[in-house]
Amino acid sequence: MRTVLFLAALLLAASPAAARTLVFCSEGSPESFDPARATTTTTMNAAWQIYDTLVEFAPGTTTIRPGLAESWAVSEDGRTYVFTLRDGVRFHANARFTPSRPLNAEDVVYSFARQRSGDQGFTYFHDLGLADLIEEIDAPDPRHVRFRLREADTTFLANIAQVFGAILSAEYAARLAAESSGDDLARAPIGTGPFAFESYRPDQIVRYRAFADHWRRAGESVEPDERPDGLVFSITTNAAVRLTKLRAGECHAMAFPAIADLDAIRAEPDLTLLSLAELNVAYLALNTTRPPFDDVRVRRAVTLAIDRQAIVEGVYGAAGLLARGPVPPGLWAFDASLPDLPFDRAEALRLLAEAGLADGFSTELWYPPVSRPYNPDGRRVADMIQADLAQVGIRARLVTRPWNAYRAALYGGVPSLMLYGWTSDNGDPDNFLSVLLGCKAAQPGGANLARWCDPAYETLVQAARRTGDRATRIDLYRKAQRLVRDAMPWVPLAHTQVHFALRKDITGFTMDPLGRHLFDAVRFRASP
Amino acid sequence: MRVGPKIALVGGIPILAAGAIAIVGWLLLAQEERARGGAILVADAYHDLTMARLVRDQYAAADAQERPVFATRFESLTARAEASLGRLASFARIDEQRARIAEVEQALARYRSEMDAFVRRTRENDGLIREMTQRADTLIDLTDRARLRQQASNADLARSVAEKVEALRVARTLISHLNDLRALVAAQAASPISGAEGKRIQARFAAASAELTAALRAEGRAADADALDALAAQPELGTDGKLDAWIERNLKIETSGQESLHDEVAQLLAYSLQANEIEQATQNIALGTLKLGPRTTGALVRRDPALAERMLTEGERLGRSAAALPISPLIQAEMIQALDGWRARLTTTIEGLRRQNAMIVAMDGLAGTMIESARALNDAFVLDADRFGIVIQRILLVGAAGLLLFGALVVIFVARSILVPLKALQGDLVMLTGDPTGATLRGTARRDELGDIARATAVFVSEIARREGALRRAKDKADSALVELQLTQDNLVRAEKLASLGELVAGVAHEINTPLGIALTTGTLMSDEAQTFRASLGAGSLSRSRLNHFVDRVAEGAGLLCTNLTRAADLVQGFKQVAVDRVSDEIRSVTLVTWLDDLVASLRPMLRKGAHVLDRACPADLAIETNPGVLAQIVTNLVSNAVVHGFRAGEPGRIIVRVSEIAEGLVRLEVRDDGQGISPQNLDRIFDPFFTTARSAGSTGLGMHIVHNLVTAKLGGRITLTSEPGQGTSVQVDFPARRVGHAARSTSTAIGSP
Repeated sequence: MRTVLFLAALLLAASPAAARTLVFCSEGSPESFDPARATTTTTMNAAWQIYDTLVEFAPGTTTIRPGLAESWAVSEDGRTYVFTLRDGVRFHANARFTPSRPLNAEDVVYSFARQRSGDQGFTYFHDLGLADLIEEIDAPDPRHVRFRLREADTTFLANIAQVFGAILSAEYAARLAAESSGDDLARAPIGTGPFAFESYRPDQIVRYRAFADHWRRAGESVEPDERPDGLVFSITTNAAVRLTKLRAGECHAMAFPAIADLDAIRAEPDLTLLSLAELNVAYLALNTTRPPFDDVRVRRAVTLAIDRQAIVEGVYGAAGLLARGPVPPGLWAFDASLPDLPFDRAEALRLLAEAGLADGFSTELWYPPVSRPYNPDGRRVADMIQADLAQVGIRARLVTRPWNAYRAALYGGVPSLMLYGWTSDNGDPDNFLSVLLGCKAAQPGGANLARWCDPAYETLVQAARRTGDRATRIDLYRKAQRLVRDAMPWVPLAHTQVHFALRKDITGFTMDPLGRHLFDAVRFRASP
Repeated sequence: MRVGPKIALVGGIPILAAGAIAIVGWLLLAQEERARGGAILVADAYHDLTMARLVRDQYAAADAQERPVFATRFESLTARAEASLGRLASFARIDEQRARIAEVEQALARYRSEMDAFVRRTRENDGLIREMTQRADTLIDLTDRARLRQQASNADLARSVAEKVEALRVARTLISHLNDLRALVAAQAASPISGAEGKRIQARFAAASAELTAALRAEGRAADADALDALAAQPELGTDGKLDAWIERNLKIETSGQESLHDEVAQLLAYSLQANEIEQATQNIALGTLKLGPRTTGALVRRDPALAERMLTEGERLGRSAAALPISPLIQAEMIQALDGWRARLTTTIEGLRRQNAMIVAMDGLAGTMIESARALNDAFVLDADRFGIVIQRILLVGAAGLLLFGALVVIFVARSILVPLKALQGDLVMLTGDPTGATLRGTARRDELGDIARATAVFVSEIARREGALRRAKDKADSALVELQLTQDNLVRAEKLASLGELVAGVAHEINTPLGIALTTGTLMSDEAQTFRASLGAGSLSRSRLNHFVDRVAEGAGLLCTNLTRAADLVQGFKQVAVDRVSDEIRSVTLVTWLDDLVASLRPMLRKGAHVLDRACPADLAIETNPGVLAQIVTNLVSNAVVHGFRAGEPGRIIVRVSEIAEGLVRLEVRDDGQGISPQNLDRIFDPFFTTARSAGSTGLGMHIVHNLVTAKLGGRITLTSEPGQGTSVQVDFPARRVGHAARSTSTAIGSP
């Protein structure tokens, strides 16, 4: 027996073909595998592995590069985009479906048309105004797809490079529809991405296997390092446990190490700590449609009553940067001249009194139950805000829900006072200013949680969107940011430095400013 | 054909035929031998094939490591069987055998190729099983690793919890210091600065602030400590509210931190519990895997696809539970992969096993047919050999019988060809014997040895016939002379008999004369007496004495009368008997003494002339069953001979007749005289008829001849005559006679010697 074991061990060790699975200790369960319904980075990251988009951001940057479309042409008026599709792009197969053909224009048209056709939870597509923007999508021939826009939109490419722009298999969708199991599109996804979906166990594990026929592999040279043939998201919500697993080698990489653990990680010889100022923002949204937050004085009082500095110092530590507005400093639209928001309890009390709320009021404060890139500890932030608000007579009761329910409640407009945050999906200021504060997103189910809609602001943002000129856009966005400062629909809290920990034998991982966790290029370091 | 060639024919043909049979038999024996050799080869092949099947079974049942030994054995056995079959071809005699051999060879080739396929398949399967075992071991190893990892991770968790608890403790300390500080600031604001109370509070504040600063510094929060120091150093404590704000801010941070830590610890504890459960579950999977491996191996060794199938299901179940476990995904993936690999191989193995089992069944069928064929082949060879044996037997039997029959026929023919003429010759000779003139001899014309014999015989017969004719004529003459002679002799004998009867009568008359004369005289005298008496009586002169005298005289006379008359009567009676005896041949019981006395009495007159004495000697009680007439004639003739021839004239002689029983049932009668005897030259002719020395005296010369004839013919005895001249003659007659108890003779009165 011992010999056999030894032999088996030898066999396993000697075999270069031995399966190597990359395990990523992720922070939460994805709510769906339908990319068009993804609104959180967790869900998006689950989808990013499976899907490709027509155009994509080069990893680690916000630069657009060709994806499934090998090239594209934009008309003079900026309203017509014609994409030329890559030839011979293969779809995944699963137990019930084997694709009969490679990707063609039909798949692209289907992937967008389904989001255009109705609301049906395609939040992001609608929040970005794409439903209105896109006039027509058609396919002149199987290799070309033409998008006709109602007006020019500089964010269009960056927008369709987001995960909702992922291309699904029309053939698979038709098959599922024929079998009346359309929901399986989100449960057993088929894409063209570098990893094929294998299984999912909520709160536990997502399994992928490397897609050997992925189009990007065709041009790749032989590498000395080993490519993983499987990818696993080991869902571990607790950051301390994630780190434990990383240390034990149960994970090769972990998302969002706790701020308190960063020094320890740096000290460990087996681990690598990556960090990047992510294009994100954490904020406290105030529902501007609901009293008493419909009064700008109350909103300002709340902002002044919260010691934001203390929160950033206490909870974010070195990883946090006190936020002045919605745009992170890494983005070109950031306005450095915007004055800091003071912590002024007296002024707050004065404003409340002015608003007729001298005795304060009671409200609910919703906080996220999980660690997010923009907010490592929602509960603690909420605790501190609660303490600050108590000082000015605002009695906030802390409320939370499991993550997906929380998200749903927020998008459904249930709370009045809520902690949330945003990571840019496309690196464009529009992705903050339009998606989070635009009038379109203020509709029920939209991402504008403050439900704040200022026509002047909207005009500025939309104008910035239509022009390709950076200087003009900067100017427009600065004006827009001042309007936000005045209206105070949010209490901006922090921008964060996001961290990522890896084991030393993993190479090729690039941190992404858009919060994507891309494992396509990750390799096991060749054993010496 | 002559007899010589015939004998050659009779002797030679069987020898030749026997030789031919021997040659045929030898040839057939060779064939039989061949068939037997073939049968032995087939039996070897059969044995090898049966063994091969056994070895195949052993192979199937053996461990993978031991299989090659059995495979090699199977190979060598089947190769040997094949070689045997190859050699058998040269033993095959008929097409059927060849066909059968070819059939078995083909079946064997198929069998071997199937075995090869089977061996290949078992190798594949063994490989699969080996891989499976490896996978199972890998699985066990993996579960073990998973368990170890879980343990390590649990330890890490415990460490993390400890760290968090420590952080919690620190937060609590800080919070308590901050609260103390805030209380003192409030107290200071409420009391006068100058008073003793104010001094005391100030001192307490300084101490508390120093403590907090130290705690902050210990936590590495030098900036916060400096800020506190700066605030605490200001003379007007708490008046501007800055210190208060600082305290409040830090209190907020620490409190929220503490809350957060609480949550974290709680989460970690919950996770730790879960981790323990996972470890347990992992262990269960390891145990399940540990059990599954040997059970599966067992099922495979027992070739039980159904059981293996169950193991497969069991493996699937294990796989499902392994997949459901929140263990390290890495190990989990490997575990699932190992299990999937294990299951895939098991599925293939089961399929292989099923096919193997099917192959075994097919091979068994083939082996059965083949072995059956081999047996049939063996039977065919044995049958062939037996058939040869039977043919040989039959040939020998039929040959021998035919040869015997043929030989017999030849012998009969030859014998007939010899015997028939011989028989004819014999018959002719017999005929010739009966009728020497009437018959002819056949076969004289033949040219062979028999012809020679016939011709010689013919010469012989004719010579005999001639001589016999002469002889017969002479004999006829002699016969007629003899008849004449016999007639004469009979006449003489009768005359002799009558003569002797006359003598007898003369003798009787003489004898009776005497008593009768006496009686007559006596009667006369008595009559005279009576006369006298009557006269006296009439005369009255009768006196007493006279009366007495008369009575006495009468009594005496009566007595005398009685005696003599009785004597006469007896004599008559005796003579009557003798006479009767003489003329009758009746056999009766005779008391010899009485009979002899009667005879001697009758012979007396003959003796009286010469005054010869005749004595008799006879046992008184000897009574025999005999022919007394014959016996009397013999004695009479002998006595007569002695009287006539024995004595010289004038010289009284003595004759003794002696009867004795010399042995049981044998009586001797001897008549001896003391006369002059018989001269030796006459002695030889004494019993010849008509020999006499006294023919002149009237002798017929038949006396002794008759005696001889009577003794030999009538009595069945023997007669011996001894005589010496001058010494007398003795004739002894020995004859058989049955002795009886009592003589039937009514008169027993002996005459007695005169």
